[in-house]
Amino acid sequence: MTTPARRRVPIKVGYFTIPDDPTAPPKLLGTKCNSCGEHYFPRRAICARAECLSEDTSDVEMGPRGTLYSYTFVHFPLFGSMNMEHMEGYGVGQVDLPEGPRVQLPLAGKQGDFRIGQTLQAELDTLREDGGNDLVIVRFRPVEEGR
Amino acid sequence: MKDVAVLGVGMHRFGMWSDVSNATMAREAGMAALRDAGLSFRDVHAAYVGHIFAPVMAGVRVMKEFGLTGIPVQHIENASATGSAAFREACLAVAASHYDIVMVLGFDKMTTMIQQSTAGTAPESMEDAILPAAFFALWATRRMHERGMKPEHLARIAAKNFNNGALNPMSQRQADKPVTVEKVLGARMLSWPLTTMMSCPIGDGAACAIIGRADLAKKLRPDRPVVRVTASNLQSEKYARGHLFMGPVVGPPQMTIDASKAVYEEAGVGPEDVDLVQVHDAFAIEELEYYELLGLCKKGEAEACIERGDFELGGRVPVSTDGGLIARGHPGGPTGLAQIWDTTLQLRGEAGKRQVDGARIGLCHMMGGGSVCVIHILQRD
Repeated sequence: MTTPARRRVPIKVGYFTIPDDPTAPPKLLGTKCNSCGEHYFPRRAICARAECLSEDTSDVEMGPRGTLYSYTFVHFPLFGSMNMEHMEGYGVGQVDLPEGPRVQLPLAGKQGDFRIGQTLQAELDTLREDGGNDLVIVRFRPVEEGR
Repeated sequence: MKDVAVLGVGMHRFGMWSDVSNATMAREAGMAALRDAGLSFRDVHAAYVGHIFAPVMAGVRVMKEFGLTGIPVQHIENASATGSAAFREACLAVAASHYDIVMVLGFDKMTTMIQQSTAGTAPESMEDAILPAAFFALWATRRMHERGMKPEHLARIAAKNFNNGALNPMSQRQADKPVTVEKVLGARMLSWPLTTMMSCPIGDGAACAIIGRADLAKKLRPDRPVVRVTASNLQSEKYARGHLFMGPVVGPPQMTIDASKAVYEEAGVGPEDVDLVQVHDAFAIEELEYYELLGLCKKGEAEACIERGDFELGGRVPVSTDGGLIARGHPGGPTGLAQIWDTTLQLRGEAGKRQVDGARIGLCHMMGGGSVCVIHILQRD
């Protein structure tokens, strides 16, 4: 071991996992309704379906893969980021998870890398150093064809 | 809605008025509305005040500008739909015979808000990564994928709204020469494919409407047609698979469909009867989607209608006749009341160079983040 990696801490607790293995993708923290089976992101206590409204819900982990529903590229630096990668702007996408929810999060890559319908995988992205730790957000990156 | 009329309207022009106070803007808009109605503040039975960015107590304190008469003053906030939501509460109160004459006042100063918010730099949550421009750009990308929309369609909407705004003395953006599609496309890119000219500016301003019993309208101003509020609806989000809980500015398109169906039914009219429309065009892609969601054209036909000029002044059903949020501006609290201001003038035949010939029915649509959809139908007798 040379320089130990800094500990990774989430920008907000309760939205995604931070795996011990730095190469493992994070999962999204959601909720499953035990009455009707609907899945939600982020977590909630009561099922949102008007026909259900059950309080019998459980925490679940979702992802890490999803399908791109729509995307854009924002021509501003990512708010709160000191990462040079974010200075020219950043992608944003809506991603459909296989469990049902559609989530809206930053994307890794440039405008030309994105295509509606493509498969993406969640990853952790460092925004800045924070008290000796790396402050991270979850984002999605297009998966190369055939992988 | 029965027997509710707009007795008077007034505005303080929207713009970057960093050296003008909320109290001054609100007083000017309110006094203009009272004069327009032929009323004094002592005739007002209640007030509903809307602002988003001003501090707590601002509504009640600003109302003291008009005099301290002891009337009930209520504060209403519903994000961008604040003015529309306050207008709705006033209309419901008059319809329920609680009051005969009510003032609805909206004001805001976004220039002050921006100065304050730049003090902190740490993002508070995951949602700070999703700017409003990015959220609506996602609508645009999806529309291009599904319907073959091109950025030129959005540019044409924005150019229309800029050019309508140039005919409105209360409009924030006043282009000195006609705005072209090329100029809109060439403006700075915000979030692909949306440019700065396809989005509303920040600004300050105030707007006021005096609402009252319809029979009073005729008595007070026998010289002009009565403008009635014939329908009002407010919807919040209804869950369906694929619902976005984090990051969206406004909820699913179904809200606008449901709210518009409700107001058409209440007023006993259809979208084909409407002569002019105001929508929440914070970004040009919104206006395009609302054409279809409000039933102004069939699903999938918005692009063809834009190419034909259906929604321009002189077209089949003009939309954003006062310049919309894109040109007239969108300070927050007063925005929905600016829609009522122009629609009322249009229905009276007093809208000058931007007048829609023979306008009898107008529709005002606002979205408020969170989110809600508010729609009103106004009709002249």
